[in-house]
Amino acid sequence: MKTKIALLILFISGNLFAQEQKMTAAEITQFTEDVNVVSKKIKTLTTDFVQYKHLDFLSKDIETSGKMVFKEPALLQWQYKKPYNYSITFKNGKILINDEGKKSAVDIGNSKIFARINKLIVGSVSGNMFDDKEFTISYFKLKGQNLAKFIPKDATLKKYIKQIELTFDKEEATVVQVKLLESSEDYTRIVLKNKVINAKIDDSVFTN
Amino acid sequence: MQKSTIQFLLINCFLAIVLISCGSVTKNYTPKKLDKTSYTVPYFSDSKTDYVYKTNISVYGNELSGIFIAKKINDTTHRIVFTTEFGNKLMDFEISETDFKVNSIVSELDRKILINTLKEDFRLLLKKEYQIQEQFENESADIYKSADGKRDNYIFISKKDQKLEKIVHASQTKEKFTLLFSSENNIFAEKIQIIHQNIKLKIELNYFKSE
Repeated sequence: MKTKIALLILFISGNLFAQEQKMTAAEITQFTEDVNVVSKKIKTLTTDFVQYKHLDFLSKDIETSGKMVFKEPALLQWQYKKPYNYSITFKNGKILINDEGKKSAVDIGNSKIFARINKLIVGSVSGNMFDDKEFTISYFKLKGQNLAKFIPKDATLKKYIKQIELTFDKEEATVVQVKLLESSEDYTRIVLKNKVINAKIDDSVFTN
Repeated sequence: MQKSTIQFLLINCFLAIVLISCGSVTKNYTPKKLDKTSYTVPYFSDSKTDYVYKTNISVYGNELSGIFIAKKINDTTHRIVFTTEFGNKLMDFEISETDFKVNSIVSELDRKILINTLKEDFRLLLKKEYQIQEQFENESADIYKSADGKRDNYIFISKKDQKLEKIVHASQTKEKFTLLFSSENNIFAEKIQIIHQNIKLKIELNYFKSE
């Protein structure tokens, strides 16, 4: 009986261990290369997303969903469609907002922190953010997926985001999930699906 | 002599006008015999419910929007979190009738005057029990007066369907801020407005159901 339990524990812990396994140096090189090759090909990208806001004290995650549109080099729009209509567009140093029809614009031209966040969002979606100067990065293997964890080095950025975790589809080398951790208990998890790469997208989409 | 009398009269008239216009906040209400000594607010009282609202804050012409989350975490205390639509946490408070704790706040919003204002607003929004000292009425509502330190709260219960529709926080002479509620079932408020009379601050909360 005891051996059975011991074996079972071994099996379970072995399994847990297998769920998130560190990559070897060679695997990291291969993985980042794969992602870079794919992300370099991305001229435009549209994807549906579901956002789960997890706060430890809530009984349920807050779920919102919509569509994300990206066009090279840095046009980006998040459209929340459920349960409310809200869009935020990053364009030429400006943030354009449409909140249930109420439009506003914020000039972020000189805001370094927003420029960083913008770069980070674009990077998270395209997958291309393996910048050792900005982040301490660690790499893991999951079943059918790869996982990269980014810890910001910049103190200001770190105040907003403690860690970013990008989950990649192993075959396609594209991002399927973005997780932004504010603390160990609270995070935002964004699942990307129905991705369309390099469809024609007009610049006029990026407005409020 | 006559001149000074006129002056005196003028000053008196002026004083009278000032006094009348300051008046009391209850000047338009008709006093009524007290029909209860306490009132229990139905909203925000269920510890199993996540109270999640889309929020618009308008402060001195600036617009801020995000998500307001309130949850009753024990008998006396609510946790309040305000995030952006993206989910970034902007403020995180714990609030009861006697205690107030800032768990976190982004540096851009970390201003004492703002925190104190929100503390006052949210404390009233989440207050459960009111002791009633006086009662009034107008055409549409029964109005209960409840002392709150040096100030008073006026609780408006609609005559039509007995719903809590308004709470006015006021000094002896002036309304300070008002909470407006829209509720279908009188258990849950779908829409709430917090309107300040002395500063240009308005907070609007619209409940949304997560998918």
